[in-house]
Amino acid sequence: MVHGKLRLALLSLLAGVETAEFTWLRTKTGATDGNLGAQLMKLEEAGYVAMKKKFVQRKPQTIYRLTEKGRTALSEYIAALKTLLGGAM
Amino acid sequence: MTVETNEKDLAERVKLIESMMTEGRQTTEGWGWTFVLWGVAFYAAMAWSAWGPKATLAWPVTMIAAFVLTGVIASRRARSRPRTTMGRALGAVWMATGISMFVLLIALAGEGLLETQAFMGILAAMLGVANAASSFILKWKVQFGCTVIWWATCWICVVGTDTQGTVTLLITVFLCQILFGVYCMISEARARRSEEIHA
Repeated sequence: MVHGKLRLALLSLLAGVETAEFTWLRTKTGATDGNLGAQLMKLEEAGYVAMKKKFVQRKPQTIYRLTEKGRTALSEYIAALKTLLGGAM
Repeated sequence: MTVETNEKDLAERVKLIESMMTEGRQTTEGWGWTFVLWGVAFYAAMAWSAWGPKATLAWPVTMIAAFVLTGVIASRRARSRPRTTMGRALGAVWMATGISMFVLLIALAGEGLLETQAFMGILAAMLGVANAASSFILKWKVQFGCTVIWWATCWICVVGTDTQGTVTLLITVFLCQILFGVYCMISEARARRSEEIHA
């Protein structure tokens, strides 16, 4: 789940902030709306990110945040990467 | 070959994680305009209390108006920007200082315990506190410079005459609110351009 590059980028971005809006994630990753939405949905289904929809000045906003499960998964993935790279060196 | 490719791919992933995390943490939050807005509000309150009608209302009304305006503009600007822990920490410092200052000054004024010199001294000291906390969090020397100016202003306002205090406060508001705010806005615009280039 974490290994996909866009999903990994999304989890990493969300790890650096408290919450982020869909358009900001799109700008930072350079992904298309469809692809970004699909990957975020996968992460949401896995319980790695939480989504909240709200209206600000009558305009819809989709806010995402990294859940504890997502943070743990990312930490474990980073630890695994470090082990693999350390072993290869 | 496969091992090399895998190593390269893994290293790229580490780089991706690092860069994305940094992107999030270093997101530029534009707050320079608030310094300018509050600087103008301070000038407006000072002018009103000196020459306007119902001078006792000048500071509370102007400060409440500035507070509301800050809230409205901030909520509009924050629409598509992420929330960061740093942003929340800095916001908390300024919010807490502002509310404490408002409550203290209103209470003192209500009890007739507030003289002009004490008022200016408290204003400068409290703004010194907020600037100091903010500059320590951000490790920002320019803002710490403003902190020192606010503390010096506090000293002059209390120890000096009314006129000396007023003139010093006018100069400090210009330097540490208007000028510093414009400087922040220019820095933020540069940072945002840099973010857009790297995005």
